[in-house]
Amino acid sequence: MKRIFGVCVTLLATMALASCAMRTKAPASQATAAEPGATLWERPADLASRDLFHGPWGRDDAPKPDDTYRLVERKHHGVNPGLTVVDSRGREWSVKQTPPGNFDSEVPTELAVSRILWGIGYHQTPMYFLPSFTLKDAWGTRTETGGRFRLKDERLKSGDPWSWQENPFIGTRPYNGLLVVMMLLNSTDLKNSNNTVYEYRDRGVAQQRYVVRDLGAALGDTDRIAPRKGSPEAFEQHPYIVGVNNGFVEFGYKGWYEKLVRDRITPEDVVWASNLLAQLSDKQLNDAFRSGGFEPADADRFIRKLREKVQQGRELRARSTAVR
Amino acid sequence: MWRAAIVTLGLLCTSPVWGLAQERPATQETEPQGLISEPLVIERAALFGRRHFSGGEGAAGLYADVMNMIPGAGWLAAGPGYRQWYSGDRLFFDTSAAISMRGYRTAQARVELPKLSNGKLIVGSQFRWQDATQINAFGEGPDTLESNHAQYRMRSSNLVGYATLRPWRSVAITGQGGWLKPSILEASGPFRSELPDFRQMFPGDPVFALLEQPGFAYAETSITADTRDAPGHARRGALLRGAASSYSDRHSGVFSFRRYEGEAAGFVPLADSRIVVALHGWLVGSDTADGNFVPFYLQPSLGGANTLRSYTNYRFHDRNMLVLNLETRVALMTHVDAAVFLDAGNVAPRIGDLNLDKRSYGAGLRLHSGSNTFARMDIAHGGEGWRFLFRLNDPLSLSRLLRRTAQVPFVP
Repeated sequence: MKRIFGVCVTLLATMALASCAMRTKAPASQATAAEPGATLWERPADLASRDLFHGPWGRDDAPKPDDTYRLVERKHHGVNPGLTVVDSRGREWSVKQTPPGNFDSEVPTELAVSRILWGIGYHQTPMYFLPSFTLKDAWGTRTETGGRFRLKDERLKSGDPWSWQENPFIGTRPYNGLLVVMMLLNSTDLKNSNNTVYEYRDRGVAQQRYVVRDLGAALGDTDRIAPRKGSPEAFEQHPYIVGVNNGFVEFGYKGWYEKLVRDRITPEDVVWASNLLAQLSDKQLNDAFRSGGFEPADADRFIRKLREKVQQGRELRARSTAVR
Repeated sequence: MWRAAIVTLGLLCTSPVWGLAQERPATQETEPQGLISEPLVIERAALFGRRHFSGGEGAAGLYADVMNMIPGAGWLAAGPGYRQWYSGDRLFFDTSAAISMRGYRTAQARVELPKLSNGKLIVGSQFRWQDATQINAFGEGPDTLESNHAQYRMRSSNLVGYATLRPWRSVAITGQGGWLKPSILEASGPFRSELPDFRQMFPGDPVFALLEQPGFAYAETSITADTRDAPGHARRGALLRGAASSYSDRHSGVFSFRRYEGEAAGFVPLADSRIVVALHGWLVGSDTADGNFVPFYLQPSLGGANTLRSYTNYRFHDRNMLVLNLETRVALMTHVDAAVFLDAGNVAPRIGDLNLDKRSYGAGLRLHSGSNTFARMDIAHGGEGWRFLFRLNDPLSLSRLLRRTAQVPFVP
């Protein structure tokens, strides 16, 4: 029995170490061949009129607050609790719930960041917020804690994860611009498994959409140990751009994925992304934060700081001649 | 006196608390602010605890099996685990192994069908191997001397099959049957190795008349109603449990016995949940045929971090046991509670002789994440002096109820 115990511990420890190794391995960045129809970003010709409260699929596809949702299964991954439900129209939703005590919730942050990314042209999935909803399971119906509702739709098929280090867009302005926005929003969980390639089919035409999907770890600070999320105080205090060195922008980002932006992002990348963000109106930004359920006072603080950062980014070009 | 306490406990658990549980708001309440503002280091500790030590059966894949051992293993126990759901949650598999700072070791594997009858019926099986290297023992009865502190080591293999029916969301009716094979060895561990061997100190105990401990076939039926909002750090709700079990000595039959348990816990929030009053009571009785014995390691025991906190783990054991715990928590900060507590109970050879003569009182701090207490410090005082405790769990989480296999030794 002693030997069996030893074998069990060794086997499980090996699996744990292998898992950690797989997580931390970061191959050198390189662009891969793009599949036809693969896009990360599309120029938002309608940027000024985009509805950042309802998001990419608009009001019509939103989950109904008074609907009854049938439980399919519980979620078994991630930090926040969740479940899969089906509404009365037969549509399946992945629900990420607000955790007990409303502590460390990813829900409002994920919605707000998703809306901002979509607002400036990055692909996002249809997701919405319901503060509570009616759930039907084996024991009957009851009111359940709400959260983020992400639609699982046959027009948008979830595929494999994509890698920050190997993808068709490395070196392009939208790719670097995406990293700039993630830095600006203090997004800390930039692991590859949070990225998904979706196949979007519309009128028989297929498009591969590269999406940063799990966006809940943002809008706080970027400390490696237990970073705060969705915290206006932390977001206000955390530095954004700390300098330019050898032609590359240095960020105040301290998270585990700092290598992704080291010696990669130029002032022009920052200016490009900042100019896009600057085009979002106050109403649009308010809608983005409101879509996730942020309190208006908190939303104001986020927006004020975000505007400051955008301005800092736009001014970078002028300052970049003063190389440290 | 203890009868009055049990009546009070029953009223607390059955009337207002049930109502409160039903009225729990669907949208998550923000955690109550404490009396003083929380420094960032505490907030980060709470975040870290929530993300990494939330417990439960939430996340699929590899996980850290932390603090999942019996009392006495030491405050730190950890090891790797792996769990996975298959076929849309229809099949669940879990395995883990862990070692504690006192050298206790466990390994377990569990297979479960959790979605039979739309999730109302769960059927499963679990195997657990355990090596508890330094278990305290002081002899049988309520009047044993502290100076008779001895130790023994117990290895056990345990296989169980179980079925749980949930006719209502908060009610579980469980039936289980299994095979338990314990063996007693000389204590061996890194701490307090000077303590005498229990076998030498009490050679007359009927258990030591056998060279080898018998195997037990056991069966248990229980019914549990649980409306606690978060078992790891309950603020509201109640738990009521009744259980009957039978252990059949498959060697000579001399150690066959039956056990009956009643348990209740109630949690009442006051002042917008800034104050929580918790009351817990647990009564265990054993019954044998004439001439039979309950082996000392399966007798209900009392003492330690979850029962009588000023006494060492397994301080008292006998055929019957009663314990009551009253604890009041006050939110000092958002994620730190100050607690004061009173524990009282005793063991006795006859259930009618039970009383609340052994008492502990004290105070402590709880570091929690809103749904889970992941560190606590208690200072307790009682008949045998002061005791300081540091643990990585909640004293009233009743996590032993999540175990499917028979608990050997009996876990207080």
